[in-house]
Amino acid sequence: MLGIGIGIAGLGCGIGLGFIGNGALQGMARQPEAIGKLQTAMLIALAFVELVFLLSVFVVPFLAGGK
Amino acid sequence: MGQFFLSSGSLLAQAGEETFDKSGSYNLIHLFGTLALLLVIAFGLMLSAKSGLGERVFKKPVTCCSEQLYLFIENMCLGTIGPHGKKYIPMVMTFWIVIFLGNVLALFMPFAPTANLSFNVAMALIIVSYVQYEGIRANGLAGHFSHFSGPKLAGVMAFFITPMIFIIELISEVMKNVSLSLRLYGNIHGGHAAVEAMNKLGSPIFLPLGEFLLPVKILTCLVQAMIFSILTCVYLSLVTHHGEEEAVHPTGLTPSGQH
Repeated sequence: MLGIGIGIAGLGCGIGLGFIGNGALQGMARQPEAIGKLQTAMLIALAFVELVFLLSVFVVPFLAGGK
Repeated sequence: MGQFFLSSGSLLAQAGEETFDKSGSYNLIHLFGTLALLLVIAFGLMLSAKSGLGERVFKKPVTCCSEQLYLFIENMCLGTIGPHGKKYIPMVMTFWIVIFLGNVLALFMPFAPTANLSFNVAMALIIVSYVQYEGIRANGLAGHFSHFSGPKLAGVMAFFITPMIFIIELISEVMKNVSLSLRLYGNIHGGHAAVEAMNKLGSPIFLPLGEFLLPVKILTCLVQAMIFSILTCVYLSLVTHHGEEEAVHPTGLTPSGQH
């Protein structure tokens, strides 16, 4: 069951990162002079979404069963 | 011959794998060894960067990189915190250099400072305590804790909702520690675990597939160091914002170009 849980968390993370990339690329296509700022903002948002996935990989098994 | 590729494709990594036990616990000697290596690299960089300050034309690549790093951190601090953010630049830069060098060490060694959970938790605790200390220094003890109670509500609602907001703010302070440490640990140690898994996947055909993750790992090095520094600046800006300030350009000039 743990594998299914981590898989679903990965699914959510993948969809979220896809949305972030979509927004960033659309903004970069509209305004090529803002590419630097958009890249920085995209990487910051990436870190927050990755954090949810890493919490589900490292913290949830620890809480759910193991010691 | 397959066992040469089983651990990160290098004999050094294989020797490191065999010297500590597989249960995942790290020796204190390993931790201190990598910390010492980290300090030697950082000290050497600072020495060579300082020795270039006396020349008229800065041609050494190390001084150029150090200046780029300083400008990046200064832009980040002044842009996020405001013009009074200049005094936080040394702290943020120290953490950036330590995290970046620790991540780089994790690229080619199975044990590294930032791949160890205790090191990351210690850094997160230091950062959060430093932010609390700066908040108390800027606002006073009562002023700092009144930040935690949120907006001033009128009448009877203040009696019920303010304690809840206070508790939620305290929990979010604890979550800052957890998220800062786990983000860094998960990215770096997860990189190790992913490389191990891919090496095991490719070991029947004697191909170290884990090496193909190296570009992503290098990007993660830089990005995680930047994320930690930016979050430190954001937490500092939340705690030390000084009422009303006129809009000042991050380099200290007003938008019309005058000081």
